[in-house]
Amino acid sequence: MAVMKFLCDTKRCIECNGCVTACKNENDSALEWGIQRRRVVTINDGEPGETSISVACMHCTDAPCQAVCPADCFYRTDDGIVLHNKDTCIGCGYCLYACPFGAPQFPKKGAFGSRGKMDKCTFCAGGPEKNFSEAEREKYGANRIAEGKLPMCAEMCSTKSLLAGDAEIVSNIYRERVAARGNPGAIWGYTPKVGA
Amino acid sequence: MKLTSLRSLFASLVLPLVILMGLGLSTSALAADGQNSQQIANAKTSDADLWRAVKAGDSGYTVAQGSEAGVLINVVGNEGKNIKNEYLTPAMGVAVLGVFSAFLIFYFVNGPSKLTKGFSGKMVLRWSKADLIIHWVLAISCLGLIFTGINIMLGKHILQPYVGEGVWAALIYGSKTIHDYVGPLFIVSWILCVVKWMPLQTLKMYDLKWFLVVGGYINFGPFKGKHPDSGFANAGEKMWFWTLAIFGLFISVSGIMLVLPGLDLPREASMAALLIHGLSAIIIIAFTIVHIWMATVLSEGGMECMKSGYCDENWAVQHHNLWYDEIKENGTLEYKD
Amino acid sequence: MRLTRKADQAEVVKKPALGLNRRQFLQSAGLATGGIAAASMLGAGMMRKAQAKEVPHDAPTETKRTICSHCSVGCGVYAEVQNGVWTGQEPAFDHPFNAGGHCAKGAALREHGHGEKRLKYPMKLEGGKWKKISWDQAIEEVGQKALDIRKESGPDSVFFMGSAKFSNEQAYLYRKFAAMWGTNNVDHSARICHSTTVAGVANTWGYGAQTNSFNDIRNAKAMMFIGSNPCEAHPVAMQHILAGKERGAKIIVVDPRFSRTAAKSDEYVHIRPGTDIPYIYGLLWHIFENKWEDQTFIDQRVYGMERIREEAAKWNPAEVELVTSVPEKQMRRVAKMLAETKPGTVVWCMGGTQHHVGNANTRAYCILQLALGNMGVSGGGTNIFRGHDNVQGATDFGLLFDTLPGYYGLKTGSWKHWCNVWDLDYEWVKNRFDQEEHLGQVPMNSTGIPCSRWHDGVLEDKSKIAQKDNIRMSFFWGQSVNTETRGREVREALNKMDTVVVVDPFPTMAGVMHERTDGVYLLPAATQFETYGSVSASNRSLQWRSQVIEPLFESKPDHVIMYKLAKKWGIEKEMFKHVKVNGDEPLIEDLTREFNKGMWTIGYTGQSPERLKMHQENWGTFDIKSLEAPGGPAKGETYGLPWPCWGTPEMKHPGSQILYRTGREVKNGGGNFRARYGVEHNGNNILAEGSYSKGSEIQDGYPEFTADMLKQLGWWDDLTAEEKVAAEGKNWKTDISGGIQRVAIKHGCIPYGNAKARCIVWNFPDDIPLHREPLYTPRRDLVAKYPTYDDRMVARLPTLYKSIQEQDFAKDFPIALTSGRLVEYEGGGEETRSNPWLAELQQEMFIEINPADAADRALRDGDEVWVHSPEGAKIKVQAMVTPRVIAGECFMPYHFAGVFEGKSLEKNYPEGTVPYVIGESANTVLTYGYDVVTQMQETKASLCQITKA
Repeated sequence: MAVMKFLCDTKRCIECNGCVTACKNENDSALEWGIQRRRVVTINDGEPGETSISVACMHCTDAPCQAVCPADCFYRTDDGIVLHNKDTCIGCGYCLYACPFGAPQFPKKGAFGSRGKMDKCTFCAGGPEKNFSEAEREKYGANRIAEGKLPMCAEMCSTKSLLAGDAEIVSNIYRERVAARGNPGAIWGYTPKVGA
Repeated sequence: MKLTSLRSLFASLVLPLVILMGLGLSTSALAADGQNSQQIANAKTSDADLWRAVKAGDSGYTVAQGSEAGVLINVVGNEGKNIKNEYLTPAMGVAVLGVFSAFLIFYFVNGPSKLTKGFSGKMVLRWSKADLIIHWVLAISCLGLIFTGINIMLGKHILQPYVGEGVWAALIYGSKTIHDYVGPLFIVSWILCVVKWMPLQTLKMYDLKWFLVVGGYINFGPFKGKHPDSGFANAGEKMWFWTLAIFGLFISVSGIMLVLPGLDLPREASMAALLIHGLSAIIIIAFTIVHIWMATVLSEGGMECMKSGYCDENWAVQHHNLWYDEIKENGTLEYKD
Repeated sequence: MRLTRKADQAEVVKKPALGLNRRQFLQSAGLATGGIAAASMLGAGMMRKAQAKEVPHDAPTETKRTICSHCSVGCGVYAEVQNGVWTGQEPAFDHPFNAGGHCAKGAALREHGHGEKRLKYPMKLEGGKWKKISWDQAIEEVGQKALDIRKESGPDSVFFMGSAKFSNEQAYLYRKFAAMWGTNNVDHSARICHSTTVAGVANTWGYGAQTNSFNDIRNAKAMMFIGSNPCEAHPVAMQHILAGKERGAKIIVVDPRFSRTAAKSDEYVHIRPGTDIPYIYGLLWHIFENKWEDQTFIDQRVYGMERIREEAAKWNPAEVELVTSVPEKQMRRVAKMLAETKPGTVVWCMGGTQHHVGNANTRAYCILQLALGNMGVSGGGTNIFRGHDNVQGATDFGLLFDTLPGYYGLKTGSWKHWCNVWDLDYEWVKNRFDQEEHLGQVPMNSTGIPCSRWHDGVLEDKSKIAQKDNIRMSFFWGQSVNTETRGREVREALNKMDTVVVVDPFPTMAGVMHERTDGVYLLPAATQFETYGSVSASNRSLQWRSQVIEPLFESKPDHVIMYKLAKKWGIEKEMFKHVKVNGDEPLIEDLTREFNKGMWTIGYTGQSPERLKMHQENWGTFDIKSLEAPGGPAKGETYGLPWPCWGTPEMKHPGSQILYRTGREVKNGGGNFRARYGVEHNGNNILAEGSYSKGSEIQDGYPEFTADMLKQLGWWDDLTAEEKVAAEGKNWKTDISGGIQRVAIKHGCIPYGNAKARCIVWNFPDDIPLHREPLYTPRRDLVAKYPTYDDRMVARLPTLYKSIQEQDFAKDFPIALTSGRLVEYEGGGEETRSNPWLAELQQEMFIEINPADAADRALRDGDEVWVHSPEGAKIKVQAMVTPRVIAGECFMPYHFAGVFEGKSLEKNYPEGTVPYVIGESANTVLTYGYDVVTQMQETKASLCQITKA
């Protein structure tokens, strides 16, 4: 059974924010101004050693958000994608406190009370609504997985830095890259199919 | 997650915060800053150093707008979650069920504490109208928070499996909403209660003796028939008051931290607030159960005080002898009608 | 990389075609202006869109192939359209440039289909208020105003600002439009982008364009980026650059600022702004000193390297360190790296070009590559990354003040060639121009007024400019004036002109930064997704774009607006003599065919619409490594038929991916340096010696081909009878039958001749690159030794040099200022700041300042500061305290506008068109300084002072 994961190859990430706007583009209806499911963070900015990493929900196997949620609105698909039900979400923010990656986003920054329905990366797999339904699109955005496609952020990554897909395949691609970099003479060209 | 690290985390994160809670909310944020600058100095070109810094919660540059957007990994919240799920949630279950059933058993074994001389029929003024209002506002808001809070903390384990999805969504959303809006009411009545009643709750030497005979509620063994000295409030009531005063403060401050998203608190502070809120709730709930038991069934004639504000003279003599003596002496004793 | 979801919570629905997203269209943003009153103002086009609110998911999906309209990399895009609404964008994994990859801008491309902040209908400013008018009224009034001014002040008083966002066909048509009007006052943003490259590089070896391709960078073993930051400006190029790096190439980044590209480098070299020439000479000093140069290459293919040796000898390591701040050890290390890891490529962008010595900078880079022998090989070359999506095409089509399409220049012969192509009487065209001479210049044959200085054309005393009168009216057709320096003068010029006409999808700064109450027209132009045509990427490949959606609101494609104006001016018969016009819309394909007939100089002749469409349909058949098709319908051809694609389309030339490549036959895209400047100089032979392209029958240098030369060679009879008629008396550039080119190539020769590259450009003010301190230099100690030019007349305008440099500004304005790009925005930024997906990411204009400078001024990150220009202007921006810049230097992005010297211009915009993000424009405080050859503005070496606001 596949387990879907993201992997960001930091040697290739150039902080172009293509993944961020690709996500906006694809999940347009579900995302309002101020909500970004993905972000790029640069460590040691402006200094030698500067490194950028694109980060969103990592679809943890043992997801803290799911464990902490008082409304139990999270669920894991058989592909290992962590999704949530916005109808059950109560906007308490616990998932935001618990998530190590800062993935959950809330639309309301009001003075008091609920933060509104939580939004986060769905691995472009929609939500609990019927596939391709109006409600799914409005609440969760795209459902590329149901179309046999991968998340838009990874598909549009300018340098093929951000990888998404079955954990085994993704880590194999990355391992091949690392091996090739260690021995640049051995690698011959570029294979767009694996993005290596 | 190893138990040792959890303990040390609990000690380093929660305990100081419990102590510092009233002093300032920004403690954890400051602590995080101090940690970061040190890491920035360490993290340079080596990959290993970089990852070490990232895992330690180092902050970088980003165009994303949210608070803490520059932090790639922050495990503190997750460790807090572990504490919550592994300790607080079971503890809450124990607090609710355990205390309740303990008292139930005690009641059946021991029976209620009867008035040895029976009711006199003469009612002595004990609480003013204002006191009654404060008490009941506090009591009702507190119960509202307890029931909704228990649903928020335990509902997904004890309720959700047995109700439909729609019912659950409505229940949990309702709980959260009621909890949010009743909270301020609780805080106001709590403040009034603490301010107004504090003078009556100072601890005295005879309170110690009260504990030695378990307040005289036990109807068997060496404690049977003992009626220790006590003033307006007995030592048990005083303990309840101070518990409510202290943990009421914690629960109020942490509650405010949780219910105001606009504060944009760092995750450490929010998670700490959540843990403190839960811990305080456990303690308050446990005491509340005790309190209700005592007032309603255990102490004959006790409930009457909070209904009318008057208590039976015999009840006053038996449970609050020093207070009775005092008001009788200085002439402030006031009978009903 | 496609996986199928194997299990799911909900049932899987069979999905029709590629499409996915049906969006709420035009949700409220552009429409929420208020009830019926607003609705009645919307006009037919708008209402139609507003009704098409929701598109059901299973509506039939059409997939269109288009090209991103942001930068010049030319990324392919699949646009999915349902019910006429652009509902989805899919990555084009099969596109040979980007393989599906996109930067922030490309990934947000679909927002073009929303266009909430677009201009929705023609408008005019009347009594300080924007008033909706009809297209007919707009064309009538604008056209009449121009005719009135023409009568009073001559055709040169109307300025035609063009755009790098035009398709090739529109760019060509716009140049023709200005010619038919009778002026050379036509220009576009290439002036302030790579004009110095075009001039400097073309004068070195023939063509002023990127010599290799993005894809070919994979084959480089060393790459030197100087004044180039592809991570932000050309992010998808990094796909190829990093592939090269992973194959072992060394990356050197030379920049005053530690850019994101520097973060990916093996060697980061900080140079002081404006010291590129000393830096290059410093490298050459080490190269010559250690005999690392490619002497065979130099002997065969380079003229004048001895002069360079002499000059390089002066730039010993100590002097280089004094001027550039680069220590000797690092200079040697870099020189060694370049010499030992070959082939190596040099990449430069605005950091190199935008200087008052920009043309010399670009020549210096070329000379370095010549010394190393890195030219004409895969993995080598000068990879000059252009800016906008079609700035290469617009440049090629002569949207410039000094040339007709195809770099033919403005000589009488050039005009006659184009009159021949247009099938127009030369005398008629000539009579469209001002017939008088001004300051010794003939308007038809003299360079016009540049894009960078149109405001000087408005404000300068008219007796000092070489035309009849000042500029009194200007079209700002797809160009933001906030990309021009000296913001105060720009505003003053906008105030002074009789009429300002903005033709653009957005109001742009020309429409809002003035203080006028009347005489401004805004004509809504459509974007490239609302029309179709070809576009030239930086690597000279032409790509065909399909129309994605119908023009939004009441906007019209540029060529339609040109036709309408031409009709008003009564020149439409001549202008569209051989172009079919459907209603108001000239047929794009006919325009392509027309320029195919005339663009012989640079080989824009083989790319017929049919061939380009065939390439468009077969993206996937081209190999991403070689850019060539190993099979399929385009077998053997290079993707996009990069120019020169010689001869007629029927000749099926495959295009030239790598210029001057002697290792290939000309017919397969090979070549050699161009013989553009005769056969000898000062008695020295400047033709190539013993070097020639593979298969050439003339195995030595040779001059450019003419009819006479064919006869001398005995190849004349290879021409057909018709070709002979057309070729008689002509040369390879003017024979519109293409016969001369065909025969030359048949014999393995390249039509433009085979010469040496020139290190000495004797027709330029500095015949070899010489260091000259910036006009606003912080190093007063170097001014005496490395002074700038004397004040002089350049083209039609008096231009200041020494009189500025003589003044000491460094005392009061101690911080060196440079500017550059952000990945989220492009150009003047009006379009990208109106895209919410992008605008969200960069909401504040900022200035990067080193922690030391910040500490001196008690500034903290995020503080508001004033940036003061030595010319008096000041802007209020946010301080970003960062080690990206060193102490004493600072950096600002130039995409912001909408705030002017602390005051918001929001109220000046027509309702509903204020971009999501506005901010101060960096160019408000950037200063005087223009390249002595091309009038490029100096934005990469100025001075400023920063104070707390």
